[in-house]
Amino acid sequence: MPTMQRSLNLKRSAVLAAALDAVTAGQRGLAAQQSAGSQPMTRPLRFGFVGTGDRGSAHLDILLGMDSVEVPAICDINDSYLHRARRWVMEAGKPEPKLYGKHETDWMRLLERDDLDVIVCATGWKWHAPVCVAAMEAGKHATTEVPAALTEDECWAMVDASEKHGRHCMMLEQANYSEGLLQILNMARAGVFGELLHCAGGYVHDLRLVKFDPEREPWRLQYSIDQNCNLYPTHPIGPIAWVLDINRGDQFDYLVSMSSKARCLNDYARLHYGPDNVYATMNMKQGDVNVSMIRTKRERTISLHFDTNTPHPQTGEFRVQGTKGHFAGNLQSVYIDERSPNPHAWEPVANYREQYQHEIYKTIDRERLGKTGRGHGAGLTTALLWHRYLKAMRAGVEPDQDVYDAASWSAIIPLSARSVAMGGRPVDFPDFTRGRWQSRERLRLG
Amino acid sequence: MSSDFYSRRRVLQGGAAAMALSATAGAQVKTLRVGFVGVGGRGTGLLRQMLRMDNVTIPAIADINERNLARAQKLVADAKLPQPEGYSRGERDFERLCERDDLDLVLNATPWHWHTPISVAAMKAGKHAATEVPAAITMEQCWELVETSEKTGKHCMMLENDCYYQETLMVLNMLRDGLLGEPLFAEGGYMHDLRSVKFGATKAGPVGNAEPWRLEHTLKRNGNLYPTHPIGPISWWLDINRGDRYTTLVSMSSRGGAMREYAEREFGKDDSRAKAEYRQGDVNTSILRTARGKLVHLYFDTNTPRVKEHITRIQGSRGVYSHMMGKMFVDGVSARGDEGSWRARHEWEDLKPYKERYQHKIWRERGTAAASSGHGGGDYMLIYRLVKRLQAGLAPDMDVYDAAAWSAIFPLSEKSVAARSMPVEFPDFTRGRWESRAPINPDEIE
Repeated sequence: MPTMQRSLNLKRSAVLAAALDAVTAGQRGLAAQQSAGSQPMTRPLRFGFVGTGDRGSAHLDILLGMDSVEVPAICDINDSYLHRARRWVMEAGKPEPKLYGKHETDWMRLLERDDLDVIVCATGWKWHAPVCVAAMEAGKHATTEVPAALTEDECWAMVDASEKHGRHCMMLEQANYSEGLLQILNMARAGVFGELLHCAGGYVHDLRLVKFDPEREPWRLQYSIDQNCNLYPTHPIGPIAWVLDINRGDQFDYLVSMSSKARCLNDYARLHYGPDNVYATMNMKQGDVNVSMIRTKRERTISLHFDTNTPHPQTGEFRVQGTKGHFAGNLQSVYIDERSPNPHAWEPVANYREQYQHEIYKTIDRERLGKTGRGHGAGLTTALLWHRYLKAMRAGVEPDQDVYDAASWSAIIPLSARSVAMGGRPVDFPDFTRGRWQSRERLRLG
Repeated sequence: MSSDFYSRRRVLQGGAAAMALSATAGAQVKTLRVGFVGVGGRGTGLLRQMLRMDNVTIPAIADINERNLARAQKLVADAKLPQPEGYSRGERDFERLCERDDLDLVLNATPWHWHTPISVAAMKAGKHAATEVPAAITMEQCWELVETSEKTGKHCMMLENDCYYQETLMVLNMLRDGLLGEPLFAEGGYMHDLRSVKFGATKAGPVGNAEPWRLEHTLKRNGNLYPTHPIGPISWWLDINRGDRYTTLVSMSSRGGAMREYAEREFGKDDSRAKAEYRQGDVNTSILRTARGKLVHLYFDTNTPRVKEHITRIQGSRGVYSHMMGKMFVDGVSARGDEGSWRARHEWEDLKPYKERYQHKIWRERGTAAASSGHGGGDYMLIYRLVKRLQAGLAPDMDVYDAAAWSAIFPLSEKSVAARSMPVEFPDFTRGRWESRAPINPDEIE
């Protein structure tokens, strides 16, 4: 491990440890009182919010529109976000929430409350794991924006906390709820593609403007300065992991990753802020384009692209390939051997919609959930995610994405960093399920 | 590490490495005398293009299949050229052909394992060599080509037609003009369902385009067995061997299953082909890195039912070209919806206007003549350029270093796959001269 990486990890571990020390002491008792989400819930579900910026406010807006939800406490260090959130809660006719925002770790006080069931964490990335671990230690279920964790230690800390305290931890990967994906998942499970062989996806999104906008996500640029890896794998890997039954019949085995040189952020700063701008010449570790390949225990492979620095339209790249057929997301097309009308020619995936539309999408109130809300990304897929979550909580069952998913999908960040630093050497995935991936049942989404 | 074997070999053979091939290795030739070895489907196609060139004669043709030979001889006679002498006394009869004293060039389009032996025999007998792809299938063969070429002062060109596609050369022009900025990443693949070609049959009986040697490699090897079509154009764009070079590769294969499934379906469960062990994983992916920090992502997939895809894409610091989409995006030129918002929607632009502006000179001048030939006109351009360069006494556009570096991906990927995707180093076939060699210039000598 290179020094920079190690010191980053150490720093994070220190933060995590401090967070843990602060909250564990008086909280264990509370955790033990509550069940592992295995009891049906009849009273309103009480959410505590940590982070109500672009994305947190979207979650808040969606949840406020759902039945039997309360928001007794909100935390944000940005006053205007905090008060906006308060206003929204009250406008929704709910009791006035208690506000937290004195400093960066004021969420620790929020976690001490005994009137919260679930924490929603939508902070800068570095706080996701500390907040979730502390939340579980304090007897709350945790939900967090992506990525759930940035280091292997954080991944394990989440798994350990979840197992120890019987609290679940769900990463809020909304990409897993798109109608298109769920149709492909249905087709894959019905064997339309045959034995699955390969999936590909990517996060290819020009974020140069965001990285240089201090008002927006001031933490984003720093990662490009400090890290060199696939920094944002969960949007593509979430859907792929469902298709391949990762943690539930298959498991990531190892990964290799390589990055190109870095120059686009320097170019951008030079062009927009002049050659004397500090970022015009600063050494940026993150290569502009990163490619990773993952092999699973059942010998399927995955290719991932990560590129947030180059000028590029978003591509929607998503491939699912088996011995009998193939789906290409950027073309919204499939080819199925001996079934597609013309040999070796694409046909629209929409041709299979009627037969393979997912049950979820047949039953939901599309108009209600599909309403565009306030905040970043408050649309159908995120609304469906919360709809599914509330349903699971009320039924007393595990949510669709559990702590093993959060850990293994997020682990791509530190693992790819290690592989890149070692010239592309293969790096083994930890098995966060400790062998149970072989016997765990395929995710049921009925 | 992985390059030990090759670098040690380099040291041992230091003596042979002394001579470098100069770009002007030969005298001008008024009439180019070409011997053909292998005139099956591909060889005959190339012969047809050769017969369209001025100042070319075909004194000799070898093929173990006498019907093919007779057909080729007749083609030449029909073109009002002297009837070529035929060689068909067994697999090594090309050696007699190479010994003739009335040939300048020996062009071979045989099964893969003959490409290097024939090219080497030709150069040793004082002829230039041109070979179908891949030029070599082992590292030993790659070095043998380089060393023979340097020792004899004869050229060896691999006949990579994809380098002469209209869009390949258009992108080359764009890069030279700076339109796309510095290239950072390229992606490509050979993705073509060859199951019936490999088996030479379907349930309906034999097929006309059988290539049984492909099946042999699918049975015995596991890697990227056919890299040159995608890597040729990409190498031109990245100035490989002419300012940059490939340094590292990692490769990964999925499980194999599609070949057996196909054999079972087409030939029955009890057929030996349905029971055979196919080593080649169905989907292979590789990542290559260059000395200058460029990244290449390659696909190889000839086992699965699929649409033939040309996913070629090149990402520069200022823009991107996607062959698959037929689109471009150029920073500061192409439109962006929601300008100034981080949700900016970069919009793909149609290629059309760029095609006209960046049309390559040889396509401007000879596009009409090329249009009727195979592989999108690439076959005509390929033969045209080969003949022109040799007649002028110059090295062909693609030289032995290209043949070796591009073909080396086959054995190197195999090695990486076998070693659980360990990085494998590329030998430097140019022995350091990649830094100073002039960029490719396919419009020279017109």
